[in-house]
Amino acid sequence: MNAANYLYVSALLFTIGAIGVVVRRNAIVVFMCVELMLNAANLAFVTFARINGNLEGQVVAFFTMVVAACEVVVGLAIIVTIYRSRRSASVDDASLLKR
Amino acid sequence: MSIFTAPVLNYSLLAPILIVLAGAVLGVMIEAFASKAIRPVAQLSLTLGTLILAIAQVWRIRHQSSLTAAMGSVAIDGAAILMQGAVLVIAILGVLLIADQEQFTVLAAAVPGSEEERESLESGQKLTEVYPLTLFAVAGMLVFPVSNDLISLFVALEMLSLPLYLMAGLSRRRRLLSQEAALKYFLLGAFSSAFFLFGAAYLYGYSGSVSLAGIRDSVVGGSGNDVFFLIGIAFLSIGLLFKVGAVPFHAWTPDVYQGAPTPVTAFMAAATKVAAFGAMLRIFYTAFANAYWDWRPLMTVIAIITMLFGSFVAIAQRDIKRMLAYSSIAHAGFLLAGVIALNKAGLDASIFYLFAYGIATVGAFAIVTLVRDSTGEVTDLKRWAGLGKRSPFAASLFATFLLAFAGIPLTSGFIGKFSIFSAAYESGNKAIVVVGVLSSAIAAYFYIRVIVLMFFTDPADDGTSVVIPSMLTRITVIAAFIITIFLGVFPAPLLNFITSLAYFIR
Amino acid sequence: MNSTGNPYVPILVIGAIGFGFAAFSLVAAAITGPKRYNRAKADPYECGIEPSPQAAEGGRFPVKYFLTAMLFIIFDIEIVFLYPWAVTFDKLGVFGLVEMSIFIATVFVAYAYVWRRGGLEWD
Repeated sequence: MNAANYLYVSALLFTIGAIGVVVRRNAIVVFMCVELMLNAANLAFVTFARINGNLEGQVVAFFTMVVAACEVVVGLAIIVTIYRSRRSASVDDASLLKR
Repeated sequence: MSIFTAPVLNYSLLAPILIVLAGAVLGVMIEAFASKAIRPVAQLSLTLGTLILAIAQVWRIRHQSSLTAAMGSVAIDGAAILMQGAVLVIAILGVLLIADQEQFTVLAAAVPGSEEERESLESGQKLTEVYPLTLFAVAGMLVFPVSNDLISLFVALEMLSLPLYLMAGLSRRRRLLSQEAALKYFLLGAFSSAFFLFGAAYLYGYSGSVSLAGIRDSVVGGSGNDVFFLIGIAFLSIGLLFKVGAVPFHAWTPDVYQGAPTPVTAFMAAATKVAAFGAMLRIFYTAFANAYWDWRPLMTVIAIITMLFGSFVAIAQRDIKRMLAYSSIAHAGFLLAGVIALNKAGLDASIFYLFAYGIATVGAFAIVTLVRDSTGEVTDLKRWAGLGKRSPFAASLFATFLLAFAGIPLTSGFIGKFSIFSAAYESGNKAIVVVGVLSSAIAAYFYIRVIVLMFFTDPADDGTSVVIPSMLTRITVIAAFIITIFLGVFPAPLLNFITSLAYFIR
Repeated sequence: MNSTGNPYVPILVIGAIGFGFAAFSLVAAAITGPKRYNRAKADPYECGIEPSPQAAEGGRFPVKYFLTAMLFIIFDIEIVFLYPWAVTFDKLGVFGLVEMSIFIATVFVAYAYVWRRGGLEWD
């Protein structure tokens, strides 16, 4: 199978994630879309590792997975805290800073 | 099966980073096992001791420069040593501010206004987690500008960002605002790091190597798919431009600067800029240098928009922290001019500018922490009127930092701006010099306006006053003041030191 | 192991054994087990907690679930680094052992912090 197809999937996933971040209003959904983007990048890395015939891309994918997990933890902590203070996880409600 | 040998790490060259990380881990241990009473003192002394030890290590390895460590993942060259030194000096001043625990909530997880929060505040305890968080962020900032491959770049980017997201949400007063700043910073930061990673993937696809040297070889050799290269460079730049707060990726800056506790803002504004521009300089000066025709025009446009936008919007601000945030956006534009210059003078000037700007920023925010009324900090610009008559000393120091931002002679800012613009002129980029000088003039207008407000307006009787600073805050302010003036009057020693050291290994 | 055959044959064999074991367990349980039904057994199984149409607090899960999930993710994902080390263990030698010990020690520091600060207490 042509490796370029995986690049198309990866670009598609990345775009879906990016659109999701822009149009969705729930902080947790926005955050899940960011994770989708990270995984799209991971897929691209692994595909390029296959195309280039070396392992560096797969190593990057490992590191990305760990970093993404840490990001989940920090992100959920922040989102849960803000949800407990406001009873809402909508990014539109968080608008005190717009002057 | 390929031949596999154990890697060589060169611990001696990595010492500053490893010391800071060890300090951070020890800090977590103190949080876990020390009693609440001794934690604040133990954490503060551990943090300061760690940073000073790390500076000593940076000083020790300054002449062993132009080496790579950890199998080429980390480049310890002259520029790396200068940037690590700058980050550490700024971090020490920042930690002295963070030690003023009045600014931080005690129980970050408590719901604002709840019984739980009131109890925690009345117990008189201190929030000490902020020290290990700071150290982790500093470790990330030490790795980011010295990273020599895409993996370390990404890991360092996250390592410096994640603690800062949390630290932005720790303010004691106006909790909701602070939490909101943390949320915005986090969501936008994660968004931009996804772009960074996607760009990194395409650069890897282009060159078949994750090291900056490998990417450079592909650029020089002209091999590989140019579409991959352009996608990679664009997405990677988005991630970097976000971190430095350049227009149009600046949206988080004013909100986070305003919502975060002021000591954290001081540390973050100064140290993140050094680290992010350090990494940016390395990437653009080494990996992308030979493809400058691909990125220079667009980066020039971004630099020009950033300078003008930051300067114009800052005029309209009514809040001192927001004003400083927009001024930091304008400064990001000036620094981009140094990146675009792409010559030795540009590199020297950028490093000098980063150091001078970082110190002045810490000093300015330190003064902001001191102007308070009975409920906490006063950041409304109107209520700063007449501050110079009430507390001439603090107001004069603040005025000095503002003049340094504006680039008035006899301050460090003048030398920084002058050397950046002359480097840009030398590279033949006249448009950026013209816009730069123009927006400096616009920026000078609102800095001077604040000074006029402080010294030539009658104070309103609304309880705004400058509190007596703690010993540590006093040290920060005085040190920042001395460095700002010294670099303005005698810039030669530091400039020569930078010129002799600032090289990237290729 | 047969070195000349298709390298995927062992995987097929393992798959067949796994499938066979699962099928055998189900069939054996159905044939040999006693069949006494009551209401509790007919309920859907949800980790030992009373299943309810909606979680408490209007359909939201309590925060402690998030805390547990976060802790799980953090400690779970670190395994990623242990696999490559396990594969090249003999070639990395003492260097690998020392480095991985330091790595595991730092994870334990995080664990100690969570434990001392009450992150592992359910209530």
